[in-house]
Amino acid sequence: MLSVRNVTKKYGKLLANDNINFEVNAGEISVLLGPNGAGKSTIIKCIAGLLKFQGNIYINGNGNKSLQAKRDLGYIPEMPSLYDMLTVWEHMEFIARAYSLENWKETAETFLDRFELSDKKKKLGSDLSKGMQQKLSICCGLLPRPKVILFDEPMVGLDPHAIKELKNIIMELRQEGSAILISTHMLDSVDEFWDSANIMMDGKIAARRTRNEIAGSGEDLETLFFTITEGDR
Amino acid sequence: MKALLYLLITQLKNRMLALKKKPALLILYIFIALMLFLVIFVSIMMEVESTQLNFADERVIYMILGGIGLLFLGTFITTGLSTGSTLFTMSDVGLLFVAPISSKKILLYGLVSTLGKTILASFFILYQIVNLKANFGYGLKEILALYLIYVIITIVGQLLSIATYIYSNGNTKRKKVIQTVLYFFAGIFLVTTLIIQRNQQVSLYETVLRIADSSWFGYVPVGGWAVMFFKGIVEGAIFDVLLSILCFTILSILFVVFLTRGTADYYEDVLHSTEITHQKLKAAKEGKKYSQRNRKVKVKDNEYGLQKGKGASAIAYKNILEMKRKSRLVYINGYTIIASIGAAIAGYNIKGEVIGAYTVLGALLYLQFFLTAFGPFKFELAKPYIYLIPEKSIKKLLAVSINSIIKPCIDGVIIFAVLTISGGCNPLTAIFLALAYAACCALFVGMTILYQRVLGAQPNMLAKAFVGIGLIAVFLGPSIISSVIVAAMLPDALLFLSSLPFTICCILFTIIIFLLCGNMLDKVEYSEK
Repeated sequence: MLSVRNVTKKYGKLLANDNINFEVNAGEISVLLGPNGAGKSTIIKCIAGLLKFQGNIYINGNGNKSLQAKRDLGYIPEMPSLYDMLTVWEHMEFIARAYSLENWKETAETFLDRFELSDKKKKLGSDLSKGMQQKLSICCGLLPRPKVILFDEPMVGLDPHAIKELKNIIMELRQEGSAILISTHMLDSVDEFWDSANIMMDGKIAARRTRNEIAGSGEDLETLFFTITEGDR
Repeated sequence: MKALLYLLITQLKNRMLALKKKPALLILYIFIALMLFLVIFVSIMMEVESTQLNFADERVIYMILGGIGLLFLGTFITTGLSTGSTLFTMSDVGLLFVAPISSKKILLYGLVSTLGKTILASFFILYQIVNLKANFGYGLKEILALYLIYVIITIVGQLLSIATYIYSNGNTKRKKVIQTVLYFFAGIFLVTTLIIQRNQQVSLYETVLRIADSSWFGYVPVGGWAVMFFKGIVEGAIFDVLLSILCFTILSILFVVFLTRGTADYYEDVLHSTEITHQKLKAAKEGKKYSQRNRKVKVKDNEYGLQKGKGASAIAYKNILEMKRKSRLVYINGYTIIASIGAAIAGYNIKGEVIGAYTVLGALLYLQFFLTAFGPFKFELAKPYIYLIPEKSIKKLLAVSINSIIKPCIDGVIIFAVLTISGGCNPLTAIFLALAYAACCALFVGMTILYQRVLGAQPNMLAKAFVGIGLIAVFLGPSIISSVIVAAMLPDALLFLSSLPFTICCILFTIIIFLLCGNMLDKVEYSEK
């Protein structure tokens, strides 16, 4: 379970996140929506422990900077960040060793297979296309089987097969009880599986809805998004 | 053509208007301009003795000019064989190349635009006016001639690079022919130099000066033409000046004709180099290091996988694997070889003088001070993994630093062994100098951690030079002083131990930094820069 409590993040005078509060429960897919510059990536990076902030963030009850929290957390960045001189398989091996994983090879093979990277195992990170880098970045983030997973614009640059596979994986992870937070602009891509939505505006959570709350209202994610971000405009 | 003219003028106008929003940059430009006027004013007012006896050997300038010309010739041809050069930016590629404008006009636009940038970028030569007047008795005319010829060889060099790329791109046979011709002429030049030296029984330096001053060198493309032009200006030989300009003009016209022949489809050929230039500029703006692989890295079966490492140590083994891919000898790379050659030359010249050996150590450490900033540490911090890995910060810091600490140990052994063999110092002194080198390099690694902890980022070169002076005073000051004191107290037979206090101080400071900044990864912010 992910818990974000009173998180404020400033870059100099710029208030990127203003007293953010939300939770993502185990077995829940929560989406972070909002226009450019709303502060989505910043809160994701704060949760991942990559930025300093005021407030508290808990991963399964542990402070997000603790070792146990790091063991439970998976982060897939918006821009894939790979090592030029490591092959696809070596990236998986590096993550497995760094996270001290046991019996990881079969899981790694499965992920690579699902993202059609099995025949690219010996390709160096620098030789991969942007889309392949994104696929490998996803595989690296998921290999430790994290209980809380952060996806920052995960669909960008992926081909249709990979998008379909990623959606399947996200739904499987929900079934396995993972708490999943996805930041995205592509409303269609999460429409079929989101459980809760946090819509951000100017660094704040402008609205929060659950699928159950709007189920009978005929409102969909897109209508909700435009109603909140554009108002009566 | 109207569109291209509009683009050139508007870009220039907007660039100047943008200065209003960047007052610091405006002040810098005004400062540079004022300094330039001041330098010119001082040079005009400066009285220089009219007797030629006081001036330095003018042939030195010919040698430098000819050398730069030949270096540009070789470098631009080599660049042309790999990536080519470009007169364009990515916005030109995206907006101009697809626009219904003649590709010949676009080439002209690229040339004019590059010419403008080169004229501005070459201003630094004008700052040498006082220096050149005092040493060689040159006036404004000669300085402007130097400036002009530098601009000309830069532009011709870029055209040469593009032409080489277009001619050789995707054709290994042509590449080999160009390489062979290049090496052949370089070889001939070298052999000629040695023959002249042997025949005239003078030093190598004097031989090179004589070659640069010779009339036949003036006919050597680019480098020679540049010297012919400048000598013509200095000596008032108008024919030489015109002949040189004619040579450059004919060569440039040939390149332009080659580029624009037929359908003038040079777009594809400049695309690659434009992309690379764009990436380099982007990396520089973002404070990142741009690395381009020149050789294809083959993943060998026996070098596949990390093989070892668990937890934080996996980072260290990953770094070793990355180093293996860059250099087959892992810790021994181009720097080791170049530094060893430098040590061999120094050793041969200093002939066992202790001060000379310490000077070598100082020079190596000075280099290393700047090189350490670009080690794997900064690279690793620009990726999120090091922050995410569930291990203690201090363990991860040690893991990421360990190879940067081991490499100077190996480098130190090799470099100072070479220094000993070449007669630079005795083996005992070399051992302790190698230790001092390794310890000080470890301190530099510690200092990069300190920068990150205190500043939240790695400073750029200029800032590092300033911050570094302060840090060197704090860390290296006591280390050096302690060594000097010990050296003064030691008997001659034990002088080889002089560097030991320095080594101990460096190690102590390194340990203190690691202990104090051990929690750094929990405290600093991740930055993709």
